[in-house]
Amino acid sequence: MSTAVAVTRFPVPEESRRTSFVGMVMALASWTMLFVALFFAYAVLRLRAPAWPPDGLPPLPKALPFLNTLVLLTSSVVLHFGVRPEAEEKPGALRRALLGALALGSLFLALQLAVWVPLWRSGFRIDTGTYGSIFYSLTVFHAVHVLAGLVALAVLLPGAFSGRLVSGRASTVRLSAMFWHFVDAVWVVMFVAVYLV
Amino acid sequence: MGDATTSKPAPIRHLHVGPEFHAEQHIHPEPTSFLRKYVFSMDHKVIAKQFLWYGLFFLAVGGAMAMMLRWQIAYPGTPFPVLGQLIWPQSGGVMPPQSYAAFFTMHGTLMIFFAITPILIGAFGNFLIPLMIGARDMAFPTLNLMSFWTNVVAGLCMIVSFFVPMGAAAGGWQSYPTLSTLVGSPGHGQTLWILGIFFTGSASIMGAVNYITTVVRLRAPGMGYFQMPLSVWGIWLTAILNALFVPVLAAGVLLLFLDRVFGSHFFLAGAAITKGGGDPVLYQHLFWIFGHPEVYILILPAWGIVSDLLSFFSRKPAFGYKATALSMSVITLLSMAVYGHHMFVVGMSPLLSQGFMTLTMLISIPSAVFFLNWLGTMWRGSIRFATPMLFSLGVVFVFGLGGLTGLHLGAISSDIYLHDSYFVIGHFHLTMAASVLLGAFAAIYFWFPKMFGKMMNDTLGKWHFWLTIIPITIVFCGMLVVGYGGMQRRLYNYEAYEFLKHLHPINVWMTRAALLLGASQFLFVGNFLSSLISGKKATENPWEVGTLEWTIPSPPPHHNYDEIPIVLHGPHEFNNPAVAGKDWLAQDEPIDDEPVALGAVGS
Repeated sequence: MSTAVAVTRFPVPEESRRTSFVGMVMALASWTMLFVALFFAYAVLRLRAPAWPPDGLPPLPKALPFLNTLVLLTSSVVLHFGVRPEAEEKPGALRRALLGALALGSLFLALQLAVWVPLWRSGFRIDTGTYGSIFYSLTVFHAVHVLAGLVALAVLLPGAFSGRLVSGRASTVRLSAMFWHFVDAVWVVMFVAVYLV
Repeated sequence: MGDATTSKPAPIRHLHVGPEFHAEQHIHPEPTSFLRKYVFSMDHKVIAKQFLWYGLFFLAVGGAMAMMLRWQIAYPGTPFPVLGQLIWPQSGGVMPPQSYAAFFTMHGTLMIFFAITPILIGAFGNFLIPLMIGARDMAFPTLNLMSFWTNVVAGLCMIVSFFVPMGAAAGGWQSYPTLSTLVGSPGHGQTLWILGIFFTGSASIMGAVNYITTVVRLRAPGMGYFQMPLSVWGIWLTAILNALFVPVLAAGVLLLFLDRVFGSHFFLAGAAITKGGGDPVLYQHLFWIFGHPEVYILILPAWGIVSDLLSFFSRKPAFGYKATALSMSVITLLSMAVYGHHMFVVGMSPLLSQGFMTLTMLISIPSAVFFLNWLGTMWRGSIRFATPMLFSLGVVFVFGLGGLTGLHLGAISSDIYLHDSYFVIGHFHLTMAASVLLGAFAAIYFWFPKMFGKMMNDTLGKWHFWLTIIPITIVFCGMLVVGYGGMQRRLYNYEAYEFLKHLHPINVWMTRAALLLGASQFLFVGNFLSSLISGKKATENPWEVGTLEWTIPSPPPHHNYDEIPIVLHGPHEFNNPAVAGKDWLAQDEPIDDEPVALGAVGS
């Protein structure tokens, strides 16, 4: 019982960032479970179906979604190099990274439209059995997250241009980047599960 | 060099001040405008009170609905007194079948998501976590504010749903397809139900992320996980389950929403579908993957609170503190892998069913550990029978009954007979409703002085306890009996079945007990309101216990702690022989004859 007590203190900003980091990890864990549940639903329906794609329905396009996967992965890489701590000394690195990720993210959404519109016009709709339900629900739900990610990056722009936000240091930059990488990772799983296999 | 052992220096306990306990937790000035102070407050104590009022409101609504349901069961075709004429004038005050279905659906939904969750998790989670771990507020106060107001939007969706054409959702609180698809429920009530669940789920997740982070990051120096009060343990484990499993429910209701609004085919099957049907049972999987952790989400805070209160009022350290915390953790883990026991009769593979049965039965082991620890805590203690203690003992009693009846439902062979009968209703009301409700009352009576700075009336509280525990036991044990007798759940008029007619007397007695239970809650309302206005002023530590929240004034100042406390002892330090003159020791109180050196290391 008779113990001496020594108090160790860490520098303050680092502590604050760690707290936001823990919160973001928990939030993304929660978000992951949402997508896990959606993929579980897909797996159950697909295992129950006698054939996939069901008889008379076309297979999904692969080339354009593959290109889109590359677009999104590139955006993650671009963003990462702009927000990592080493980029702190390079002026403009954060600005360039944000603009690059925003451009590539928007291109991703445009290419998604280029996938959806012809399929929808050809009569393949959300009510075309479970096949259509899964395809449109999963991809549109993911696109909504891409849009949210774009908004999260866009609101950083004024701060990046005024120099108020510096890469690596301010936690808003790092947390938005984490969300963006998360959305990209979900897409990679979705591309494999929905389009490839 | 005579005695080497005595010259050995005392080991230095390094207290990791991991959290930014001085700097980021600045003392914010108290807001002055009415809106920032009472409505859109970011103070965890104000948000806790908002959740408390919100939950008590829905508890009253859900309780009134239960009275009307019981009335219809015992006296079918007779008008419900007073309220019946207002709600169903077209049928002369008699509850019509559609309303019966809507009411049992909304009774369950409101009680689970809008009464129990806000009171135990919203109010006490918010109030207790920062105070008990020695923090100035939650890790993310803005998120906390958003969590409450998102919940209000959810509550509004549920209330509005009663007034749309064809009324509120009526497919049961689980809202299984096909009852909940456009085929089963064409009205907007079911869609609003989905939106309400989605919003309240989002609010729960926001709260959970906040709670987990606060416990991980903002514990005062010296407050290791095993120095935390068991209340915080319970709420923290609940938050982990909320963060991980509410999203699964969100996914389930999202797909249901798409089926209803955008015409997808996830849960549609049969003749209506031409190109590859969906699967209604898929919804049941998603629902129960969430639903089984959910029952622990509801009960874990009550377990934690009762574990603390039994120790406080027995004036003894909690027996097997670590074992209780660890067995609650093990139950949290096991609860993630047992959901299939809700679906034994849907036609699952028997091998899978047996796996789920085995895992379910395994939960008995940690449950028995902490239950025996409760008894061990009280064993030979100097028990003080104050109102919070009575309610805690009530939890021990009804949870014991509820837990034992769970075994009959976890075993496949008996579940197949009992499934969908009133036995199930009795079981989950004993565990989820009675235990949690009594736990919530224990918490309110215990922390009311800290929340509002006034004492509640103990005599009225004791009357409230006895007039609650007796009827609540009669109602829910009666359900076990009629369920064993073959009475199915959700029957509008069970007397239409010849083989159930002989259950009439017991059903009438259950209804009488339910009405008494409802009436005796007015004792609580009266006590609560009159104590709020003119209760005896509470001292700093009226219950003479050692957890941190009792070391500061009642009610606590806006920033909780002037100095972040340094924790030296566990939460249940009773009758320490080194302490003279009193039988408790605050967690941050040094013992006189042992010098404690505080040194700052690093910057």
